[in-house]
Amino acid sequence: MTDTASWTNEWMEMQQKYWQNWADASQRLFGQQTTPATAWGNAMEHWWQALAPAAGSDMARGFMDKMVEQGKFFFQMTEEIAGKMQGAAGQTDWTAAFENATASLKEAFSRLGAGDPSVHKMFAFWELPFDNWQRMASSLSPVPGDVLRNMPTEGMRSKLDRVLGAPGLGYTREEQGQYQELTRAAVEYQEALAAYLGFFSKMGVGSVERLQWLVKEAEQKKKTIGSAREFYDMWVQCCEAEYADRVMTDEYTELHGRLVNALMRVKQRMSVIVDEYLGAMNMPTRRELRTLQDRVQEARRETKRLRSELDALKKQLAGTAAAPAAAASPAKPAAPRKKAAAKARTGAR
Amino acid sequence: MLPIEIRPDQLADEMLQYSQKLGKGIENLLNASEIDAGVSPKTVVHREDKLALFHYEAPEGVKNRNAVPLLIVYALVNRPYMTDIQEDRSTIKGLLATGQDVYLIDWGYPDQADRSLTLDDYLNGYLDRCVDFIRDAHGIDRINLLGICQGGAFSLCYCAMHPDKVMNLVTMVTPVDFKTADNMLSGWAQHLDVDLLVDTMGNIPGELLNWTFLSLKPFSLTGQKYVNMVDLLDDPAKVKNFLRMEKWIFDSPDQAGETFRQFLKDFYQKNGLIEGTVHIGGHRIDLKDVTCPILNIYALQDHLVPPNASKALKGRTGSQDYTELAFPGGHIGIYVSGKAQKEVTPAIGKWLNERS
Repeated sequence: MTDTASWTNEWMEMQQKYWQNWADASQRLFGQQTTPATAWGNAMEHWWQALAPAAGSDMARGFMDKMVEQGKFFFQMTEEIAGKMQGAAGQTDWTAAFENATASLKEAFSRLGAGDPSVHKMFAFWELPFDNWQRMASSLSPVPGDVLRNMPTEGMRSKLDRVLGAPGLGYTREEQGQYQELTRAAVEYQEALAAYLGFFSKMGVGSVERLQWLVKEAEQKKKTIGSAREFYDMWVQCCEAEYADRVMTDEYTELHGRLVNALMRVKQRMSVIVDEYLGAMNMPTRRELRTLQDRVQEARRETKRLRSELDALKKQLAGTAAAPAAAASPAKPAAPRKKAAAKARTGAR
Repeated sequence: MLPIEIRPDQLADEMLQYSQKLGKGIENLLNASEIDAGVSPKTVVHREDKLALFHYEAPEGVKNRNAVPLLIVYALVNRPYMTDIQEDRSTIKGLLATGQDVYLIDWGYPDQADRSLTLDDYLNGYLDRCVDFIRDAHGIDRINLLGICQGGAFSLCYCAMHPDKVMNLVTMVTPVDFKTADNMLSGWAQHLDVDLLVDTMGNIPGELLNWTFLSLKPFSLTGQKYVNMVDLLDDPAKVKNFLRMEKWIFDSPDQAGETFRQFLKDFYQKNGLIEGTVHIGGHRIDLKDVTCPILNIYALQDHLVPPNASKALKGRTGSQDYTELAFPGGHIGIYVSGKAQKEVTPAIGKWLNERS
């Protein structure tokens, strides 16, 4: 840890000098186009890549990854928008500059919906919900969650339907049929994934429109957005509001169901094939194990029910045996009621 | 005046500050490797399969202990140490301070061998045996129940089936009407092919639940939260608290398949708790059979269980003694916020002490 601390301190000093120099230069070159956020992002990435292996737990490492990633995003976005706004300084109508700045964002969202992979990294923030899905899908599958993301679909379905619709031939026809089913399920999943992503790109455009509206509102209220952080928080607010509105629609709830169901169909077809192989190797299949699990559970229920009945009978017998003895013994004060006895034992009011 | 006025030198300065905070905070982050949770002293008094029943030690100096023990029924989703997450943020500690004799069920982590556990197994099996254990241990007929979220729905079902064993019921952030217009989770559940999901997966993976919960507010919960955290990195205690919450959020047990199947279909898709169509182990669940006093607590900013989903309980039970408490916070804040420690647990303790 001492080495890490020393390394970090050196890095911090270097950063201090670097950014001081940059800030001085930017003040001299005020108004000129520069790309400090990209430089910052690169510097942070190098720093963290060097330090990450020393990070103790996976949690701490993942945590730092996210802070660096989000920092890169919000500085780059602010630089893009604020840079274009600076160009409008001195003009009475700044809205044209702002709309110009946000138009490129909208256009990029449209490309995202059309499946253009070049904009994915740029829109890592907007893709957070989608990224979460991919991580989850990966955890349930032996293949990466984004394996089918950019598979072309146009025109493919009809061709595939013809191929997949052909009956299996010969000795392995059943096996061929299973692979055809798996392929069909994978294509359906990919289509559901594309529709899901397309929906998010529409949401992105809606968020930009909300941002435009909020910025105009800020101007009317004579407020100024004076920091990248403030701008980032405003962007998050727009994204969440747009998201909340859209994910309650019938269109989204159907897409959501379609996506999960499609993934399950792929997994189900894979399980059938895996079971076939396990059976062929004379190993227990999942289907067989589930039958056993069900039978064991049923037997356990029965055992627990019988044990409960036995305990009740024992208590009843003990009560019956005690009753004649009590009747034979001299009279005693009445036993306290159960609740009162409990109060006495626990020292309660 | 431009509405966005961020000069390049200001941006550079902000970037420098962000880097400095990250650089200084890395030490605190790396040092916070051991994350503890569940702080109040307790003993396991009963075990069955993966379930553990905890009994919490009474703190010194508490007079007038409530003679009727309180059993906390947590949800199957996530882990119950949320109720006792850290020394100054502990619902259990607060309840103990009001004189409650507190028990808590930890359902454990189901695996594929538990796949065919049903709601009947959980409620008329595990839960009922925990209740019987406590009744026997204290020599009393009825105990108090406190159900949390899904555990609250379970507690309502249990009270309807076993009214003779429950003296008072507290429900916290409990869904009752599963189809209110603002219930995102419910909207998303309507088009799920639950049979396909359970038949395929067996148990429902915790990862799928995590994804669902994070999807409720994806930009805040998986993006902005980490930027906000940068401001706290210089305080080791705050870092540890944050990591503790992070651990809890992602500590999601898998769900026993058959229980999940019934819960999703009967509660979320058919809204059976208020429709009276839920059947558990041969009992039809009728909320009118819940006759004990009820304290129903909901959170006004709850994005998981909207307030209207909880408030639907009013007028639907057979109880003559129904009280509501609205908490100005969220689904998690109702347990861990400073305000909850001052407002929620004392209110529960007072309400129970007046009725036990």
